[in-house]
Amino acid sequence: MHAIIRYVLPVAMLFAGMAHAQTGYVGSNVCKTCHANIWANFYKNAHYRSIASGKEPPERTGCEGCHGPAKAHVEAGGAKNTIPHAFSLMTPKQVAEDCLTCHASSFDKANIRRSEHTLADVACNSCHSIHHSATPKYLLAKAQKDLCYGCHADVRAQFELPSHHRVNEGFMNCSDCHNPHGTFAPTTRMGDRPRMVAQALNNEEPCLKCHIDKRGPFVFEHPSVRVEGCATCHNPHGSPNGRLLRRPVVFTICLECHNGSGAGVRNQGVDIQSATHNLLDPKYQRCTTCHVRIHGSNADATFLR
Amino acid sequence: MRAPILYLIAAAGLLQAQQVVTPTTEPVGPVRGQDVGDYNITNSFETGYRWALTNGDRGMYRSDVNYGNGLRLLGSSLTVNSKDGHGRFFDEILLTTIGLGNDPYQSAVLRIRKNALYEYDLTWRQNDYFNPALTISGGAHFMDTTRRLQDHDFTLFPHGKLELDLGYSRNTQDGPALSTAQEFDTRSTAFPVFEDVRRQWNEYRLGARANFAGFTFIARHTWDFYRDEPTDHFTGVENATTINDSGSFTGLYRTQPFRGRNPGWLGNLFTRRKRWAVDARMTYVSGHGDFALNEAAVGASRFGAVANRQISVVGNGARPNLAGNFNVSFFPTDKLSIVSSTAVYNRRISGQNYYNEVDNGTGLAQTFTFQELDVRTIATDTDIDYRLKKWFGIFADYNYSERQINEVEGFALPAIPGSTFHADNLQKSHLNDGRLGFRLRPLQPLTITVDGEIGRTSRPLAPISDANYHALNGRVQYRTRQLQLATEYRQYYNLNAPLSLASFSSHSRTYSGSASWSAKSWFSIDASYNKLHLDSLGTINFFAGVLAPQLQTGYVSYYLSNLHAGNLGMHFSISRRADLYAGYSITKDAGGGRIPANNDPVQTLLSSVETFPMTYQSPVARLSVRITPKLRWNAGYQFYGYAEEFHLLGYNQNYNAHTGFTSILWSW
Repeated sequence: MHAIIRYVLPVAMLFAGMAHAQTGYVGSNVCKTCHANIWANFYKNAHYRSIASGKEPPERTGCEGCHGPAKAHVEAGGAKNTIPHAFSLMTPKQVAEDCLTCHASSFDKANIRRSEHTLADVACNSCHSIHHSATPKYLLAKAQKDLCYGCHADVRAQFELPSHHRVNEGFMNCSDCHNPHGTFAPTTRMGDRPRMVAQALNNEEPCLKCHIDKRGPFVFEHPSVRVEGCATCHNPHGSPNGRLLRRPVVFTICLECHNGSGAGVRNQGVDIQSATHNLLDPKYQRCTTCHVRIHGSNADATFLR
Repeated sequence: MRAPILYLIAAAGLLQAQQVVTPTTEPVGPVRGQDVGDYNITNSFETGYRWALTNGDRGMYRSDVNYGNGLRLLGSSLTVNSKDGHGRFFDEILLTTIGLGNDPYQSAVLRIRKNALYEYDLTWRQNDYFNPALTISGGAHFMDTTRRLQDHDFTLFPHGKLELDLGYSRNTQDGPALSTAQEFDTRSTAFPVFEDVRRQWNEYRLGARANFAGFTFIARHTWDFYRDEPTDHFTGVENATTINDSGSFTGLYRTQPFRGRNPGWLGNLFTRRKRWAVDARMTYVSGHGDFALNEAAVGASRFGAVANRQISVVGNGARPNLAGNFNVSFFPTDKLSIVSSTAVYNRRISGQNYYNEVDNGTGLAQTFTFQELDVRTIATDTDIDYRLKKWFGIFADYNYSERQINEVEGFALPAIPGSTFHADNLQKSHLNDGRLGFRLRPLQPLTITVDGEIGRTSRPLAPISDANYHALNGRVQYRTRQLQLATEYRQYYNLNAPLSLASFSSHSRTYSGSASWSAKSWFSIDASYNKLHLDSLGTINFFAGVLAPQLQTGYVSYYLSNLHAGNLGMHFSISRRADLYAGYSITKDAGGGRIPANNDPVQTLLSSVETFPMTYQSPVARLSVRITPKLRWNAGYQFYGYAEEFHLLGYNQNYNAHTGFTSILWSW
């Protein structure tokens, strides 16, 4: 046993070292000779831990962990095209594959291959900047909302409506409700559910993580809320109407479903408005003034208390 | 060569999307900080005074913006990093805050990490929520509550073969809220009452992640507890405000406690190989809640008779929730990806209550009610992504799902044998949805994406649900380090018809264009324009009449929104000493297209709510001047102007507000 440790192991390590030299890995210390500006701050980067650990193989350590063996690049005296993995020259698919070498085991990236971003050629380095990040956490190239707004100008417009979730104010982020790396297939709202909405609270709508009082369970559920979700009545990003409602007045939202037509779980249609309610009387135009527990009630089937 | 690039990035960082005027954005790039032992420390504080002057509807201003006056720690940042990655107790501390000191939107983010040993993340947020409610709903439901959220996550051996996770989240909401209570007669006025909101949700998480033989296995157990203890209390005299109603209200006491718990499990197994990958997940949550309602009201009925009413309700609810996902991915060649996803979702919500009511001293029988709402969905989804060339790829997606909704209603009067009612309603629906698109990249910075989707649902749940729909999307994006151009068109059309008595259609179109240009290290500009169009038309049936309500069947609910939104932002850096940002954003709903009102009072009412023309604009300017390398003086101004033309109740909720701040940013 001692003989193995004393004689065989050093020889094996020697061969291992030669193998690394043959594959062209030179180590991050060589890179910093020319790329001092990147190296100067690199110890603040989460990727620095691959160097600090000292246990990772060369192909997963430091600069070459992402950019590949640098021997040819060094011998050529620089030039981007001699870097095996120069991200600015790679296709989005190649970029994603490289990053997933390490990041695939992360739960929140489990669905990245079927994500809308991947299909639209939005690669990791479209949002993340490894060397010049604006946010130390997650190494984002800009503040999160600005990254998202960069492509989703229409969403930005929605957040600038008077009634909106407080993303611009810094209170919340897009990723509070969305997973930009893709989500599991929708299990609520079926196919029409937006594909990048993150499921929260063990597969419930992300809205319920903050709006806990709407979660229930209630004796009297409002089926459209529970089955098809909050967006049945609300525009989640922003709305010109108060409380993010889809319409400026409450009764039009209610009556569009409660018209007695042939839909709903009761087969004969969603219940029509009560015959005692005269819509020309203003008090009946404000449905939620009386039906205050419209998201679900434990005491009253018509959500009055 | 590197310096200009850094300045370009810095300029781009400063050119943020239109936002509130603080905190001041710090430049990105330059190396800074001080070395203390084996650590490097950077720190910054921006502290100053914020002010706001408002004219017009202050309630609406507080609902939309809500900034006030006072001293603030507008923003702060602290980083501590070990220089060799071998700190004794930690390798990184990161702390950032926004708005501490009384801003309505406050947050703090903390991360402490020691490589390979532990990671701790904290997010804390506080929101002062104010809503004057919709004036058009009578001004009721005013809320002035504070919501606090915190998430703690502690990971042991991060990124190791075995990782352990502990987590805790808390969400509280408290404060006064105006609600309403309807008593004595369902046709009487709803009287305002103050409710003291007290809600609290706590979640505890314990989990582990293990990597073995190329597989990753995650198991997590959660326990969450929810309590809601609203109390309503009203004393005084409140008279009905509607004609022919002599109702009045002289007192109410109501307490409505709720206790819930939701223990749950999550399991996840996935692996990724060269030619295939598997991702399987299952969650199960066993939700349960217990509640009680105790209510006593005193006053006069709609006809003026003395009235009192006492209600007590006790009961419980359950919500077992099971979800499973199984994704299999194949990569037969480097050009082709096929992902097949199957999802199963089963939720059963059941609840029961015992309702007791005593009205005017008359004991009424106890009522027992129970309901159940079951939703089961099985969905399969297949995505194919084929890259024919480096510059051209196509993708397709087919989704089929089957949903079954079962609603069970039960009712009984325990005092009367045989007085039971039971209804069991079942609805099944199927969805077929397909999508086809292509992706074109003729030049490295230019991407063109086009796709179309079509879907058919049998038996949609609600008249406005998606039934027969199609969508078209097109996007062109040109992106270089200095210049980004993008334009997009999106269309969505849904037709839910024919229903037996009614139909509904909804049509939305979005046009957008945006440009961002970092022209020089000292100048950058950012602009966008969007047109968001929505029109919907739905048959509505309801009761209305001048003398007495009658069934009205010949009317439609028509809604038209024509939103135009524009943004312009410019950043100037003056001799690397001062940064000036000037921006303007406007959203305007042009409305239009109303069906003309006529002598029909019902049509006149419906016509008045078909559009909601309004304008919301907000110019902003921000100046940051470097006094010393570590000290900057900042000042900002932002105007908010809201103008609506709705005028349904004879007045509008318009306001304008001048807000601003001056601050000192100290960073090293």
